[in-house]
Amino acid sequence: MTAFRALELLVLLAVLAGLVALLRHRNLFLKVLAMDVTSTAVISLFVLIAARDGLITPILQGHSPVVDPGVAAAYADPIPQAVILTAIVIGFSVQALLLLATTLLAHRDPTLDVAELDLPEPSGPGAGP
Amino acid sequence: MNPITIAWLLLPLLAAFLAALLPLLARPAVLLTCLGTAAMALAAQQSWLPDSLQLLGPLGITLQPDALAAPFLLLNALVCAAVLLDGWGRPRSKAWPLLLLVLHGSVNSAIVAADLISIYVALEVVGIATFLLLVLGGRRRQVWLGLRLMLVSNTVMLLFLIGCGLLYLEQRSFALFGVGQASGLVLALLAVALLTKAEVFVAGLWLPRTNAEGPLDVSALLSGTVVSAGVVPLLRISAEAASLLPVLRWLGIASAAAGVLLALLEPDLRRLLAWSTLAQMGLVVILPAVGGLSALGHGLAKAALFLLLRRIPDPALAGWRQRPLAPRLWWPLMLASLSIAGLPPLLGFLAKDQLSSQLPGAAGWLVTAISAGTVAVYARIWGPPLSALRAPPASPQSAAAAGASATDGAGAPAGATLLVAALVLLSASPWALPLWAAMDRQALTGAMLKTASVFAAGLMLHHLLSASADAAAAAGPVSGPTSDPAAGTGAALPAAGWRPQLEGLDELLGAIVLLAAALLGLLGWQP
Repeated sequence: MTAFRALELLVLLAVLAGLVALLRHRNLFLKVLAMDVTSTAVISLFVLIAARDGLITPILQGHSPVVDPGVAAAYADPIPQAVILTAIVIGFSVQALLLLATTLLAHRDPTLDVAELDLPEPSGPGAGP
Repeated sequence: MNPITIAWLLLPLLAAFLAALLPLLARPAVLLTCLGTAAMALAAQQSWLPDSLQLLGPLGITLQPDALAAPFLLLNALVCAAVLLDGWGRPRSKAWPLLLLVLHGSVNSAIVAADLISIYVALEVVGIATFLLLVLGGRRRQVWLGLRLMLVSNTVMLLFLIGCGLLYLEQRSFALFGVGQASGLVLALLAVALLTKAEVFVAGLWLPRTNAEGPLDVSALLSGTVVSAGVVPLLRISAEAASLLPVLRWLGIASAAAGVLLALLEPDLRRLLAWSTLAQMGLVVILPAVGGLSALGHGLAKAALFLLLRRIPDPALAGWRQRPLAPRLWWPLMLASLSIAGLPPLLGFLAKDQLSSQLPGAAGWLVTAISAGTVAVYARIWGPPLSALRAPPASPQSAAAAGASATDGAGAPAGATLLVAALVLLSASPWALPLWAAMDRQALTGAMLKTASVFAAGLMLHHLLSASADAAAAAGPVSGPTSDPAAGTGAALPAAGWRPQLEGLDELLGAIVLLAAALLGLLGWQP
């Protein structure tokens, strides 16, 4: 087993751990945190994919690479890194929104029990906007 | 022509920034962008623009404003405009038209995007905009609904991202055409995310509660446009990956059957419409070639129904037939529901006809049976009598209802009327004309006969069900607390206990994980 395979396995284990925690916890705050674990695992998967052939950052200075390709031919792949940068920003903002909404809910019901939040509100037939 | 496409994609987002600075301009800006999108839809349908354009090189962004995207673009334009027109006179939060602009723009991007990362980004923006629209009222229930939706959608988007990463590992590209040679794991991960976004089968179970308890204009947007953001990428992927097609077909049929069955048992009108969305989205993914037309017909009609529902004070189906409706509500309601049921010459008829004639063997018969079920579902809302203009109300109860509706919906339902008018007029548009022309006299007669028998079967089913519900109501105590003396006449009201509770957050997440595992099993075995 190569190092890449072993790391890939670890990343997938982290994804699964996040998913299991997401399913198991009854507390909304812990669910949001579990999703963050999954999200971090996905980010590390992309970093791992970028580094599968090499670790040296491909940077150009003018028209010549900073690191001589003769010395080190194994560059990292810039595409997955560029892509995951977008996903990190999106994941961060989604996380912020989720935590904000959780805070709003916690004002009323500090236990944040998902089963309780899911109970339908007692309402008359004409309720709702 | 590339600058035109790019300018059109950027327009809603720029307009949203402008609207934040000058709130007065927000509503005209929404109408303008909707008009632009409608023009773009026509251009895409007539292929006046290049079908595919690539930005930033071969690994960059791919856009495909092609004939597949055209009906969805038109749907997005019409539904957004109608939702805006419907709420024109009401005081609104300043952020509302702004969010509508962002939603419109991001759905546009999701429809035309043809590489996985652009699809991912567009779908995330759609999710965030939907969440904010749901939460905007600030009531506790809405916050919970929005949070639930966001948690589910972000979880599936993480699965989508894992699929993208693994695809890049195999193909060294995020382009959509690489999906054809992808492994079963990648396909399963991508498909489960898009199925959740498109509200198909168990992955779409978040929909009914969101629709029933959220604001109704957001429900109209959800059923009309947000689903198309998930469906179009799904159709694009299934066009590339042949192994996904049979799986999607049976999943779609299962979704349609389950949706129709649950809608037949549902005592609440809003939830009935939501279950019907589940069924119709199932029909959309069955056959990618007809998907655009079905989605257009269904989206217009369903958004119109949700907008009309806002002017109807009581969503319970029990006693529905005793409450008369004003003509300005009655006509759009009938036309929209008849279109979904498939009455010629409305748009829904063409979609249903194409679907059942192009499907081979058993699947075709199943779809015909499901159409009959759909007729039975909508027969439940065809009951109410047409109240005469300014007629004196018959009983104190209906007087209260009429008073409530008069204060609730003063003026004609502009949005719903627009959608229904589009539904009727579009049967003579570039989308439908070639299909009409392709049918000779014999095929047309056959289709008419088939529709007539489907309607007869559906109405019969409806009468059987309502008769058995009446018998149950007469024999034993009516299950569920109902203050209405007319309960049980129009609705089979099942006890809440025996129906499985599938709509909690944990059940939703579990269902999605199970669906992913099932897809993985199905797709992984195929060579």
